[in-house]
Amino acid sequence: MSIREVAVADEAGLLGRIYRSIFRVRPVPQTELERSQAVASNFFFHIHSAKVYEETLKFKKTLGLGLFSLFTFVVLVITGILLMFYYVPAPEQAYQRMLDLRGVVSFGTFLRNMHRWGAHAMVGLVILHMMRVYLTGAHKAPRELNWVIGVVLLLLTLFLSFTGYLLPWDQLAYWAIMVGTSIASYAPVVGDQIRFFLLGDDDVGREALLRFYVLHVVVLPAVLSALIGLHFWRIRKDGGLARPSTDE
Amino acid sequence: MNARPQNAEAPAHERFPLKPGKTYGLMCVVPTRTENTGSAAEKQVQSWPAALSRELLLFLVTVVALGLVSYFFNAPLEEPASALHPPNPAKAPWYFLGLQEMVSYSAFWGGIGIPGILVGLAMAAPYLERKRGGEGVWFHHSRSGANWTFLTLMTTLGILTLIGTLFRGENWALIVPW
Amino acid sequence: MSDHDSKAAPKGRREFLTLLSGSALTVAGLATAGASLVYLRPRVTYGPPSRLSVGKPELYGSGSQVALPEAKMVIRRQGNKVAAISTVCTHLGCTVNPSETGFDCPCHGSTYDERGEVTGGPAPKALAWYRCTLAPNGEIVVDKHQVVAADTFLEIQS
Repeated sequence: MSIREVAVADEAGLLGRIYRSIFRVRPVPQTELERSQAVASNFFFHIHSAKVYEETLKFKKTLGLGLFSLFTFVVLVITGILLMFYYVPAPEQAYQRMLDLRGVVSFGTFLRNMHRWGAHAMVGLVILHMMRVYLTGAHKAPRELNWVIGVVLLLLTLFLSFTGYLLPWDQLAYWAIMVGTSIASYAPVVGDQIRFFLLGDDDVGREALLRFYVLHVVVLPAVLSALIGLHFWRIRKDGGLARPSTDE
Repeated sequence: MNARPQNAEAPAHERFPLKPGKTYGLMCVVPTRTENTGSAAEKQVQSWPAALSRELLLFLVTVVALGLVSYFFNAPLEEPASALHPPNPAKAPWYFLGLQEMVSYSAFWGGIGIPGILVGLAMAAPYLERKRGGEGVWFHHSRSGANWTFLTLMTTLGILTLIGTLFRGENWALIVPW
Repeated sequence: MSDHDSKAAPKGRREFLTLLSGSALTVAGLATAGASLVYLRPRVTYGPPSRLSVGKPELYGSGSQVALPEAKMVIRRQGNKVAAISTVCTHLGCTVNPSETGFDCPCHGSTYDERGEVTGGPAPKALAWYRCTLAPNGEIVVDKHQVVAADTFLEIQS
């Protein structure tokens, strides 16, 4: 009898076997062993070790900012995918689709609101998270690489928000991207090339909208998700969240 | 969190390992706490439910907070984009308004030079600060120099962003927003 | 890699092969990245053309200055000379408006004189003057990718 069969010994019959094929422990694990297995045998929970340091769970230690950032990102992915069903990245249609979202799509206004406010919130939360990490000295060895990954995640978040900013194709969007990409063109020598590359044209227009859309819905979220995974994995590999050394 | 100590009298399904000599995925569960060599014992708790329940709570807080904001406040939507009618003033998204504010003083340094240096400094920070100690403690006294430098930079950026967001009106002139 | 391999292959050859394959992979990776960048840099664009005809010189009276908002430039004619000046603000890309003193940017308040030189505001450099040529059909062609020195006019016979 293997360990997991023991752990779910209460289960029986077909339903029990189906349940057992998916989960290795009872819905509410009772023993310390089961609790450990609940974490270790679950794909999503496995990012945790079976045990964590009680010190690092205190809210005042982290203010939960990293998790708030993650969960805001999750909300953004879900609302973003839903919005994609009604959005067309073309200058003639994009703005009309915004009006439709507000006028005729069920929950359209709410989803757009949530995506937009969520995007602003995520930028703010990631910045606050970065400040928390620095001010608690959590960026120092052995967590240097994770800090650097974090800086890259911040830049990606900014760029993700920036590319999404153009998509409504209203005056706010158009001129914000005009201003933002003009700042990029101040780079010496290659500045204008960078801007041309970003916009796919000399000016903000059809190509820019399509480019920003592809970056916003595929490229940047994919890269961001992969790096978030790496970021979390490194937390574990670097010995959990930073906490005062007990050597002293 | 009220972890039951495991002992020899525990029922069979709570005993671990069940069969000595057999390899399992989970190697070992140490009751109550882990002893680290060279350092005092640190209290550990089971991730389930201690960490996971907190995470669920934070997730719910996130969804509810975003939901409430989205219910009561509508996202802005202006006139359709028109290349012929630049607004006065034209502003980048708020997180770039610090840059835009700096750009109005110096094009290269504001837009490229200083942001580049800041990102470079941020990436290099953990490699520059080599002295150990103060991890996991807010504003640890041994790190006050680094903390103050960091806070000064962030506050400066914050103030520039605030100026660009609220205190710049037509023709990028300084205005009072109220 | 078993012990057998390391005995059979002399150290020098192993290192050489490692170096060779490593370099080949690096080159292949760089080439792929480079090719992707080349692919993403468009060779044709679908926006307004950068080289465009603005009509015959007769459209523009002597001493006049006509704004072409779609093309983001003004056409200035002085006697038998024609020039095209960009109306894209060098600060952050807004479209400047001709004014009595030259050009004013509505976004952030940069001002330019009649030659496009900066006279105030955050703009870092002067407005661009574009190269004008006369097409065989007698129309003026402006190339926005060719910036010329200020006061460079196209002489026309009339």
